[in-house]
Amino acid sequence: MSTPTSATLPTLLALCVAITGTLITIALCVLYLRRVRMDRPAIGTFNGSDIVVLFGFIVALPLFYLILPLTPLLVALGLTFTSALVIGLRPMIGPTATWIVVGIVIAANIWMGRTMLGTVVGWQLFWIENDILVVCAAVTTANLYVQGGMRLRHVAWFGLILAVYDAIFTFVWPVTNTLAQRFIGWPFDPSVGFRIGIYNATIGLGDLLVYGLFVIAALKAYGPRAARGATIIAVLCGAVVPALLPVLTDVFIDARTDVIVPAQAAFGPAAFLYYRWLRRTYGAERTMAGFLGELDVDRPSTPALAASVP
Amino acid sequence: MLETGVRQLRMALSMVWGRPFHTDSLTRLVADAVATIDEFGELGLEAREVIETPFADDADRVDHADRSLRRTARRLAELSPFYAEWFAAHGFQARTADATTLLGLPVTTKDHLMSRPRDFVCRGSQPHLATRTTGTTGRALEVWLSRYELEVAAALGALSAVLHDELHGGDLMQVHVSSRATAAVQLSAMTCRLVGARCRVLGIIAVDDALDALAGSATTMSVNASYLAELVVAAQRRGLGPADFRLRRIDCVSEILSPAVRAAAEQVLGAPVSDNFGMTEVIPVTGTSCSAGHLHHDLTMGHVEVLGLRSGVAAMPGELGTLVVTPYFPYRECMPVLRYDTRDVVRQLPGPVDCEQAGIPATSAVLGKATQLIEVTPERVITPRELVEAVEDLPSRPWPARFHAEPEDGRLRIDLPAGAVAGLSNAGLTDHFAERGLDAQVRVLEDHRAPGLRRVRSDLRELSFAAAEPVGA
Repeated sequence: MSTPTSATLPTLLALCVAITGTLITIALCVLYLRRVRMDRPAIGTFNGSDIVVLFGFIVALPLFYLILPLTPLLVALGLTFTSALVIGLRPMIGPTATWIVVGIVIAANIWMGRTMLGTVVGWQLFWIENDILVVCAAVTTANLYVQGGMRLRHVAWFGLILAVYDAIFTFVWPVTNTLAQRFIGWPFDPSVGFRIGIYNATIGLGDLLVYGLFVIAALKAYGPRAARGATIIAVLCGAVVPALLPVLTDVFIDARTDVIVPAQAAFGPAAFLYYRWLRRTYGAERTMAGFLGELDVDRPSTPALAASVP
Repeated sequence: MLETGVRQLRMALSMVWGRPFHTDSLTRLVADAVATIDEFGELGLEAREVIETPFADDADRVDHADRSLRRTARRLAELSPFYAEWFAAHGFQARTADATTLLGLPVTTKDHLMSRPRDFVCRGSQPHLATRTTGTTGRALEVWLSRYELEVAAALGALSAVLHDELHGGDLMQVHVSSRATAAVQLSAMTCRLVGARCRVLGIIAVDDALDALAGSATTMSVNASYLAELVVAAQRRGLGPADFRLRRIDCVSEILSPAVRAAAEQVLGAPVSDNFGMTEVIPVTGTSCSAGHLHHDLTMGHVEVLGLRSGVAAMPGELGTLVVTPYFPYRECMPVLRYDTRDVVRQLPGPVDCEQAGIPATSAVLGKATQLIEVTPERVITPRELVEAVEDLPSRPWPARFHAEPEDGRLRIDLPAGAVAGLSNAGLTDHFAERGLDAQVRVLEDHRAPGLRRVRSDLRELSFAAAEPVGA
């Protein structure tokens, strides 16, 4: 979100924030997937029904956030971030250190959000701290889903549905715009952002989560080569195109002169088409067990047929 | 994943509160477990706790048994004509039933079931499948099961098999039990279907045909002990060894499995043999053997007592007793039994066990039928297991054991076919049995009389036009 009194600086800022946020999230997602094994339930794997439930939450939560008074909203967001950090950090540093680190990060976010937003430097420090929180939440959640069995097929369909959702809730019922306005300047802003002068540029936690999901699901399903292609699509269609579009048209400028671009509308279809191409070229996706068995191996383009003769 | 959690919760609530299972949910839970293994290669930690009721201490165990027995008895008092009458006749209060008050109720016997089978069918239940005992120890008994019972038993069996890695999607199960044991056959097929495994039901056919099907193909086998013995003999005759088979487990049900046959089966067929207890009348309650040879009884689905053969009350440590089993509702609903006297004899263990299943109550392995015990002197009762193990340990390896035994002049007289004692003198035979704690004199009979000496389940041959095989060959 930026105030476009000059086209170049806000565009460059939006571009830098989107690309940096996307690349850091993706890199950490991949690193986490390769290095850390999260706890999973005794029985159960991510399936199509979970996508439906997830989408239900995505539709309901913003509406819930809109009607919730500010304090309960911040508490809900704080609990969400705390949970995400605990789940993500515990397998790496153990329970005690996890609670210490999470306590410090959460407390710092509240303190900085309440006391440091009077100056540009204060804003910048707040954004850096908040960005760490948001990226960690995206990395944890993406890994929780993919390590829980979410497949590239699920992510591709999820992205496609989100594309429609994002467009509708930006242009028809501007919920996204209202939420973005509501979060800014408060702790636990679910966005990665930065400020230069009077300009704030952000990219949403939901967007980063989907990009991270897409890349690590591609890595799990088809190997590093597919993941590199997914990264290019995430950066181009998820970060670059949404950041540059306002230069071409003013359709994304709302009544408050804020720029709101439904990034999923560009990313979702591209991601889905890429998934279809991968599926046609390389065949069935690898399972989590298959991925762990051959961590750095690309899938051969001709899938082997399994013999099944008693 | 969320749905899986809901299904586990529903199953747990049924197990704890005794409400009927939602069979569709249970079936889907099996599919979830299979999908989990497909995705991750293994289930998550603590997977077995999903179906195993945690009985960490005796108080929990007693509480579970008391609540389950009360629930089962109240339902029987209301819906079972036989038990409504039985309870009234013996002043048994179903509303206050527990493991202690149950001791005051006489056991249900096979004669009760044989004489009044219709009175055991609960009002409102829908019988679906009739299954018969094989009748090797008497007249065959018919038990009706509802579709619900079969679906619950199959789903819980499949879930247990998946959780314990006893069956997975790549398996091919070969089933060699009598086709009259329809419940066992149907449950095998249903379990395989739920897990995605293949199932080959062959029954008690010519052993060479069975071996032809088994070799290089089946990965698990469900089989009676006597038929397993015949398979091992035939495999050795044909020079087959572990490399010719793909078996990874052999489940032996019913009959006495001797250590000699078990060891040979594991050596020749190349797979571990598990020796389990199961009985048509008390489906789905089972017992599993551990590495120490104890029989550990299922506490979740049924109540198991050991009653002294002479006293009729709870057997003391070291005493011989008969297994008395009560399957709980909601596992059985159509033609349930309460305190069913199986007449399968076990010995109470002298003290706590320290095997891998130490937390689950155990007895000795089944030692044989009560009617087949031989009382040589008032102090010395010989069990069928002692005889089977001693005969099957003869150098000639006469498998399955064919013999007749009875007391004679304060000693044991064993009739054996000539082929079984080949190469041994009378003194050698006496020594052989003496080394196994049996003071026996052996009478040798002609070989053609062997099949008539002791009936075993492998005698229930299912003949074909292509390969007519003499029974007991």
